[in-house]
Amino acid sequence: MAFYIVKRLLWTVVLMVLISAITFLLFYVLPTADPAALRAGRSPSPETLALIREQLGLDRPLIEQFWSFLRDLFLHFDLGNSFVNNEPVRPTLLDRIPATLFLVFGAAIVWVVVGVTIGIVSAVFRGTIWDRILMGGALLAISAPVYWLGLIGLFLFSEDIGKFGLLPGSGAYQDADGVLGQAHALVMPWIVLSAAFAAVYARLLRANLLETLSEDYIRTARAKGLSERRVVLQHGLRSAGTPIVTVLGLDIGILFGGAILTETVFNIPGVGRYAFEAISRGDLATIQGTTVFLALGVALMSLLVDIIYAFLDPRVRY
Amino acid sequence: MSTPGTPEMLDPQADAGAESVAAIAARSPLQLFWRRLRRDKVALTALGVVLGVVLVAILAPLIVKLVGAPGPNAQNPDLLDDFGLPSGPSGDNLFGVDDRGRDVFARVVHGSRLSLEVAFIATAITVLIGVTLGMIAGYYRGWVDTLLARTMDLMLAFPVLVLAIGIGVACSGREGCLGGAIQPGRGVVIFVISVSTWPYMARIIRGQVLSLREREFVESARSLGASDMRIIFKEILPNLIAPIIVYATILIPQNILFEAALSFLGVGVDVNTPSWGQMIADATGIFDIAWWFMVFPGMALVTTVLAFNIVGDGLQDALNPRTSK
Amino acid sequence: MTRSRLRFLLLAMLAISAFAFAACGGDDDEDSASSGTTSNEEAPVADVPEGKRGGKLLELAAGDVDYLDPGHSYYQFGFQTIYAMHKPLYSFSPTDAQKAQPDLADGDPVISPDKKTVTVKLKKGVKYAPPVGREVVAKDVKYAIERFFTINVGGQYTAYFNGIDGAPKENSKEFKTFPGIETPDDYTLVFKLTKPVGVSFAAALVMPVTSPVPEEYAKKFDEKNPSTYNTNVVASGPYMIENNAEGKLTGYVAGKSIKLIRNPNWDPKLDYKPAYLDEIEIRTNASDANVAARQVLSGSKMILDTNPPAQILPRLERQFKDQFTQVASGGYRYFPMNTTLPPFDDVNVRKAVLAIFDREAAVKARGGAFVGDIATHILPPDFPGFEEAGGLETDLDYMKNPRGDAAVAAKYMKAAGFDSGKYEGDEEVFIVTANVDPGKAQAEVAKAQLEKLGFKVRLRTVPQDAVYTEWCQVPSKKVNMCGSAGWFKDFADAESMLVPTFKGAEIRKDGGNNNLGQLNDPAVDKAMDAAALLEGDERNAAWGAIDKQIMGLAPVVPFIWDKTTLIWSKDVVGVGNPYNSLVDLTFTSIK
Repeated sequence: MAFYIVKRLLWTVVLMVLISAITFLLFYVLPTADPAALRAGRSPSPETLALIREQLGLDRPLIEQFWSFLRDLFLHFDLGNSFVNNEPVRPTLLDRIPATLFLVFGAAIVWVVVGVTIGIVSAVFRGTIWDRILMGGALLAISAPVYWLGLIGLFLFSEDIGKFGLLPGSGAYQDADGVLGQAHALVMPWIVLSAAFAAVYARLLRANLLETLSEDYIRTARAKGLSERRVVLQHGLRSAGTPIVTVLGLDIGILFGGAILTETVFNIPGVGRYAFEAISRGDLATIQGTTVFLALGVALMSLLVDIIYAFLDPRVRY
Repeated sequence: MSTPGTPEMLDPQADAGAESVAAIAARSPLQLFWRRLRRDKVALTALGVVLGVVLVAILAPLIVKLVGAPGPNAQNPDLLDDFGLPSGPSGDNLFGVDDRGRDVFARVVHGSRLSLEVAFIATAITVLIGVTLGMIAGYYRGWVDTLLARTMDLMLAFPVLVLAIGIGVACSGREGCLGGAIQPGRGVVIFVISVSTWPYMARIIRGQVLSLREREFVESARSLGASDMRIIFKEILPNLIAPIIVYATILIPQNILFEAALSFLGVGVDVNTPSWGQMIADATGIFDIAWWFMVFPGMALVTTVLAFNIVGDGLQDALNPRTSK
Repeated sequence: MTRSRLRFLLLAMLAISAFAFAACGGDDDEDSASSGTTSNEEAPVADVPEGKRGGKLLELAAGDVDYLDPGHSYYQFGFQTIYAMHKPLYSFSPTDAQKAQPDLADGDPVISPDKKTVTVKLKKGVKYAPPVGREVVAKDVKYAIERFFTINVGGQYTAYFNGIDGAPKENSKEFKTFPGIETPDDYTLVFKLTKPVGVSFAAALVMPVTSPVPEEYAKKFDEKNPSTYNTNVVASGPYMIENNAEGKLTGYVAGKSIKLIRNPNWDPKLDYKPAYLDEIEIRTNASDANVAARQVLSGSKMILDTNPPAQILPRLERQFKDQFTQVASGGYRYFPMNTTLPPFDDVNVRKAVLAIFDREAAVKARGGAFVGDIATHILPPDFPGFEEAGGLETDLDYMKNPRGDAAVAAKYMKAAGFDSGKYEGDEEVFIVTANVDPGKAQAEVAKAQLEKLGFKVRLRTVPQDAVYTEWCQVPSKKVNMCGSAGWFKDFADAESMLVPTFKGAEIRKDGGNNNLGQLNDPAVDKAMDAAALLEGDERNAAWGAIDKQIMGLAPVVPFIWDKTTLIWSKDVVGVGNPYNSLVDLTFTSIK
């Protein structure tokens, strides 16, 4: 077990280096924006540009630049300075993290609760009109892009411009005071972001439950006279729910970066938006910093999931 | 996967009933597959919608002309008010106009072209790469398999949307990128989507091949001295066709959404090509005034994706009636 | 490019002699221009509402300031904060956009008869904010200008000041002192210039770089590369950014917020600015302009950084009549056509483009008539030379119809040798523009106009910051048309509006080129050289004529002379400063 965890950790480190390398290649080597020109401001002369290149180390061999990038990153967790305003990337990034975490974890709670409930109801009442409505709704939710759902939600329900002003709208998060206020502001984003995930989980759980419920030990349990409720909740859910745990860990990890769309629509100052803004401004240092950070989040979550899984299910061979 | 709204399919036991059992000896897997699908009314209806969308895409200019709408890029500033805000649905402009005075109906109709084109090509590339690598990894195992697994890890850990935006921005220079191999616009979008989805396809195929290579017919072919190539192409591949079709069908709506998301974030095709995602993005600023500009492209997108998803579900159930879960 | 509009100042000014100080020579309003207010008590504040002291204001802004360091900032939005917290030698009050007020200076600059020496007296008793706290003296301004020329600080408009004896042409790696800046005593600055450019030099003393920087405090930051003075900047004006005992700005969180509080060492008797507010918070991450605008209008004690988005404008007239003002932006927006490359190397083709161009549609893409007048030539309204260049009218047939005129366009296409009246060649027109509106929107309109003439157009959208620096300003990139170009004044003088953008001698082939159309016409250059020496009405007439002369060559499609709309909450008395086209934080108050 210990060996497995060490192996897994080592691989995570390798993964991080690889991701850094790809990001580095992508944004420094491919023709995006010239960092020196960005830093130089308006109308720089070629001499000024050359001096700035030297300053930023852009005239050094790529491998050397990459090495110093890695060194700063892993030894000092230094993500460099923004090419746009010269300020260090790290504090801004750290400042943006809570919003994203709040958004993602809040949405995860919503989608797990809703998804599991729908999954169970559908499985128990399989074949009925309820099952069909719920599963049809789930498929619809999967088919609608989150940003469009968000706009529709704002158009219908936001307090400022909505037809039926029920919930705080876009931009409310920044004005909210305290955790409760922020939570209130995030109600609509949570619902919108969790819709598709809840649908996926409901479908997954329903399918797993149906399979589990047809297995022998469940029949035995039923035969022993256990109530249907106990059969489903205690026995069925236990084994049908395990895959959900795995998927959940990965989804949360992926959403650290994948919440860009929701953050954009609802104007939430999160990490995804920060990355997106940096990209649209060509701010290489910030792009690099956020990408590596987001990847780190995913890698760590997947590491966590694997370790938890290894504990939960010792049969897994490594 | 489950099959919402397909009552016949909801009870797998019934589905694998007497009729199919009787037919099983005589029919190829594909025929079986089609027979099962034929009984899934909802999936068939959805298939009809899908074909309809394809038809709309092919005949887009004709449809626009028939309705009497202006071309998708014709700007008519007279339909904007003094503040440059667009006017809504009317007899002349069924879906209203956008903030350039362009007809939304024409753009929605033309937008189907981009969505389908990108989704189909990207899916084809994904299938090609995914099937090739998946088969190699599944059949030979060894280092190829390890490499594939590791690449999967890498792709999973990478914030795909950030990667996609990054490539999109990086490759949108006049010269494209990778020495001009990837041209700005459609090419970039297709590249980005293929790069980030092929590992999933590869993993599925690998799994299928892993189980197929242990089956008797493969064993017997091997014992008869068939070469690896022969086994892969003559024995394994034919058995993969049905799953490939199914997963490709599932992939298409995902890729449609992917393209729309990229366009929404402004890293899609160039600004004048009608694209549903881009229209929704352009509408974000004024949707409270010009709801039509947001609603119609979104509805087109959801309808198309939903239809593909239902077809995909139906196909999957037809493929694995017993494990239809 | 409204939300963080790039502010172009006049660059690479050449040998100009008759450049009136703050344009007093070329102003319609002779009275205010010649009255030469010298001290704060006399500052005219008649047309600016009186305010009540106290209160806290919140400004919602789409993005961060570029820099807080007065030696580094070169954006309008950065200037807004800088003018609230620093005392440059001169600055513009919202009451008078034509005539600069002495700020740190005591009285107008004295220019020697040979125009090679400029002497400025400083006010006594102006003090730095904590932690420096000492009195501001002449050598602080000297240091501020000298550090401006280093790579570490990265001054961006050095061309204004490199006439000073000893100043390098380009920013240098090493800090150098300039023999051309003398400080005979603590309250006197003497600038020795290598050329007789005293008048234009004096006009440039309103730039933020003339704000004092205490060398003994700033040196340690300036030695870093890049200088970290940006986050340790010390104020001399009415406001300061909250800081700690070492001077580190605690009130500035990059990409999030700037917190301005009163500078306890500021003496209202030594300043013309009323500085009503007690505290100003600038939130620099309100990334959705729409939402921010709505919050400002319906909220309390808030202002928006700059123009609200177009869809907000109709509501201003209807619902929020008292909550906005419009200030002339003092500039023009245009689509420059590259005159060195086909198809726009033919003057008749360019005239045809101007003729077909629906300028009204381009204006609508920016928000319609509310946001500006449709341009008929280059120099904007209320600007010296505007009337002389034709005012709102034009004699040119290809500029007559703001909606475009297909017949006139066809006539010029025929003159260019295309008998069908449409373009028949196969040159692709390459347009580069910003990836956000309105830059994107207006370029889409431009594309449609060119397509009417039969051109094949390729439109490329790139990050806003890259539009100029990496595309339009770099001739080797072969951009045929720049999709989001604009040029804005610093001083009310036509020379600064026309020379950098249309003079052949201004073309910089290796980048940083501002003559975007690369117009290189010897007759225009000659007329400019002559007009540069004139003063008063003659000067206006001459530059107005040059405007006409340029339009005769049709190198650009000027389409809008825009106004900036500034909005605030109902309990705010907002004051716009036409100099900067933004809300003046030192004149705005809470009801």
